[in-house]
Amino acid sequence: MSDKGQFVDLTRAKQHTGVWLVKVPKYLSQQWAKAPGRGEVGKLKIGKAQGKTAVSFSLNEELTVVQCSGEKVSSVRSPREHPFTMQTVGGQTLAVFTETSDKLALEGMVVQRAECRPAVSESYMKLKKLQIEESTKPLRFSQKLEKAITTNYKPVSNHSHNVEYEKRKKEEGKRARADKQKVLEMLFSAFEKHQYYNIRDLVDITKQPVIYLKEILREIGVYNSRGPHKSTWELKPEYRHYEEGQEDEEEKIE
Amino acid sequence: MRDMKVFCCLFIQFSQVINGTSCSAVMTSLGSSSSSTTEYVVRVPKNTSKKYNIMAFNAGDKVSCSTWTQARMERDMSNRRIYGEEETQEGAAGSEFGKKQREEARRKKYGIVTKEFKVEDQPWILKVNGKAGRRFKGLKKGGVTENASYYIFTQCADGAFEAFPVHSWYNFTPQAKHRTLTAEEAEEEWGRRNKVVNHFSIMLQRRLRGQERGEEDEEEGEKGGKKKKKGGRGGDLRIHDLEDDLEMSSDESDGSNGDDDEAKSKAKKDKGPKGKGKKKKKKGSDLEGFEDSDDGDFEGLEVDYMSDESSSEEEEPEKTKPNKGEDVPKGIDEMSDSEEESEEENKNEEDGKEEEEEEDGKKTPVQVEKKKKKDSSGESDSSEDSDIEGEAASALFMKKRTPPKRGGGRGSAGSSRTGSRPGTPSIDNAATSNTLRAAANKLEQGKRQTTVPSSETPAAKRLKMEPSPQSSSGNGTPQPASGKSTPSSSDVLLTEDAVRRYLIRKPMTTKDLLKKFQTKRTGLSSEQTVNVLAQILKRLNPERKNINDKMHFYLTE
Repeated sequence: MSDKGQFVDLTRAKQHTGVWLVKVPKYLSQQWAKAPGRGEVGKLKIGKAQGKTAVSFSLNEELTVVQCSGEKVSSVRSPREHPFTMQTVGGQTLAVFTETSDKLALEGMVVQRAECRPAVSESYMKLKKLQIEESTKPLRFSQKLEKAITTNYKPVSNHSHNVEYEKRKKEEGKRARADKQKVLEMLFSAFEKHQYYNIRDLVDITKQPVIYLKEILREIGVYNSRGPHKSTWELKPEYRHYEEGQEDEEEKIE
Repeated sequence: MRDMKVFCCLFIQFSQVINGTSCSAVMTSLGSSSSSTTEYVVRVPKNTSKKYNIMAFNAGDKVSCSTWTQARMERDMSNRRIYGEEETQEGAAGSEFGKKQREEARRKKYGIVTKEFKVEDQPWILKVNGKAGRRFKGLKKGGVTENASYYIFTQCADGAFEAFPVHSWYNFTPQAKHRTLTAEEAEEEWGRRNKVVNHFSIMLQRRLRGQERGEEDEEEGEKGGKKKKKGGRGGDLRIHDLEDDLEMSSDESDGSNGDDDEAKSKAKKDKGPKGKGKKKKKKGSDLEGFEDSDDGDFEGLEVDYMSDESSSEEEEPEKTKPNKGEDVPKGIDEMSDSEEESEEENKNEEDGKEEEEEEDGKKTPVQVEKKKKKDSSGESDSSEDSDIEGEAASALFMKKRTPPKRGGGRGSAGSSRTGSRPGTPSIDNAATSNTLRAAANKLEQGKRQTTVPSSETPAAKRLKMEPSPQSSSGNGTPQPASGKSTPSSSDVLLTEDAVRRYLIRKPMTTKDLLKKFQTKRTGLSSEQTVNVLAQILKRLNPERKNINDKMHFYLTE
């Protein structure tokens, strides 16, 4: 069992690469998705103030435009400053692995966890308000129509669907009895594919009238009235050769 | 940029020494008295085909990726059967025309919605350091990306940070390589928790059971010297005569099934490492009286040993017996007996002889399985009881077993494994028959309780044996041994009671009787056996009957 599975590329793990795991608010990640070019989204400021490390992220100006649904022009901008709250990795050992369509690789270990919080500001509050409004809108709603719809459920003399059906039937005509041999050939080839057949399906396959078909079937087949394959026809045991060709069966009939 | 390399791991503690770097990244350091900040550009690459995932381990598992030399990972597809559609490619035979469509229509009609099997959501199996290394299973944690996004910030060579979104989070837990109890077994053990002292033996027995079932003869050595819990409990209700054997007599007070036995065995175990992991399923048989040889193995025993009657082989019941009683003194020595091993095979199956005592009827050949020291290797015959006779004390324990233990039921748990059981079937064959009669007078060995160590089945019985030897004392010095001359409390003890039991149950020929008391088992030589048996028969004076032209002995109560 240990031979199965893809190898995980451990090169970066061996280098003791450390990464940060940062939790980022949804709106921010949406903004980041809109980043142009190389993907620059902002700047990370890491500073030491009075012995404490302060990390903060500033979003680029152009990305603060929040797209909102509806016709409203966006007057709301997302905040720019986002201080990070640093956390320890304590209770868990976190590693990062990547998966491409053909390869698995271990990228490194998480050495620091952080949460990106927006700096609370007026613009942030407005943004949040917008979000809440959107989320409280029901997905379905009732809308009043000005004009009543009168195009359906009109009475017709004959429905189009029916007309087509009748036309098709007329074209097909009554099924004609083909040569018995031919029918037998068809049946045997059908039974080669599947063991059990419904009489309706056989009629469709062979295009024979039911009575005639049944007569032929009675000769070579047996009807299952009970059992797992209920009300189906199958070949008689002596005709069954599910690994062989159909010639044998033909010979039998003769 | 090159200077940035130092920030590889501990970003928090970076030093502010980057000044005037030539890297293109924006890095400004503001020198101020008490604070200084450096700025890094953050990029979110757009076109990564790589999906980043988190692999989370519990801190307690002490996983260190740097120690991994090799790692393999694959998806665990074992749920495909349940959730995925089993696409049975049916060929011509057995298939119906249009079955698939019909099935689909039917499902729609009843509104059956089958969950899709998504490969993406399947757990990972991570194998570290090859076959001998650790295995982990990583289950996907749901809801990670629903309300907030996680990003992985890595620092690049140019000092800028790159943020990659985390696609999914997997919690990896180590998978145990050692065997664990199944739910049923755990429930059982839980019921016996007050009695079980030695928890090691629980797993031991389970392992033994597993081995018996399919793998090999019980592992004698495996637990060598370790206390083996007797009795494989668990669901195997194996009837085996040797219940008694298994259960170290003295402690076996329980009449209850297995549980008690276990407990007893536990106590016993402590006494001495029996080593053999044989499970003795003694169901309370220990305390029972003497094991009588159940099953009418002896159908018709020829009184006259002169004639060569072929004994009806009552193999089956006998088989179970082999393990009986011997255990008591057996101890480790027994275990080493190879004979036992061979016998073990059948007996091994027996692990679970819970019912030993209980039902006479149960004495089925199954009992043969008894793991217990079935000393007499495989011989089917004997086993029955005889052991018990031997030591009074031990016999008491064993007696609990149902008398008709077929082969397995040696009730005598440890104690007296009744020594003289002829271990080898050879006796049957033989020649001894002639002399039996003659020797009848000389025999005094009705009470040879010496435990025949010979076949002391190593198994769990060992523990049992410990006390039993003490009880049986004289009987059986646990001599390891095959072929000891002294009767040791092996499974079979050639005592009058034993013979009587056999004869009551079923008429037997002398050959049959001899088979029951094989030299291997009883530790007697064939001649001695013959003599003893002759004496016993003389004393018992059984009735004779001619069956199939052979003279059978029998007794009526």
